[in-house]
Amino acid sequence: MAFTGDFMCNSFKLELLTAEHNFAAAGDSFKIALYDNSATLTETTATYTATGELSATGNYTTTGQALTNIDPVWDTDTAICDFVDEVFSNATFTAYGGLIYNDTHPSDAACIVLDFGGAKTATAGDFTIQFPAAAAATAIIRIA
Amino acid sequence: MLGQSGASKAGAVTVATTEHTGMSVEYWADRALERIIHVAPDSQSIIKEQAEAYRERIRAVLVHYIRQAIKSDRTTLYNLFIQQGESDMAEILRKL
Repeated sequence: MAFTGDFMCNSFKLELLTAEHNFAAAGDSFKIALYDNSATLTETTATYTATGELSATGNYTTTGQALTNIDPVWDTDTAICDFVDEVFSNATFTAYGGLIYNDTHPSDAACIVLDFGGAKTATAGDFTIQFPAAAAATAIIRIA
Repeated sequence: MLGQSGASKAGAVTVATTEHTGMSVEYWADRALERIIHVAPDSQSIIKEQAEAYRERIRAVLVHYIRQAIKSDRTTLYNLFIQQGESDMAEILRKL
């Protein structure tokens, strides 16, 4: 099953209301894991999964890389969250999508499913995840 | 607290990749610019023009200093290789 879009995980929405995530710069540790086209990640994904994740080759480490949180801010009436762009250096692999999850959370709670829109390949180069502009209409996580 | 008309949404990332090289100085300057200056699409045209002009000046500064940082790092690495007796590697770095 291929990726079918970007999703804010349903369980994550509930966990926000029970204060289980802290996106502040000095808050929880979030990671991004990368997946091939066999992954079945949707809005019902609740926790990190190794199923469909890239294998530990080509300079990819299973469970993914830690993200750098940027303190959440307001943009007009919307609370927004952002991360520093993440680079997998000297990478040789192909990924179709990713999962941002909370590595501090006891269950490695899933937050956001990312659909890369097709196969993205780096060969002995940089594989860079560019997060969208931190604005009310675009930020990676928005609560209006 | 979420309002009655509130909504929680996920944004879309962009993936950029390279083959047998890293990203360019200009690429990183643009990424930094996105963090430093955001021009709202619905800004007044006069403000938007001023912001765009300012953005271009900042971009040139970023490109210059990123290149200087790379040169400085290569100087550090060059001397590290020389100290380790790897003069061939040092020479390759120097010629980059």
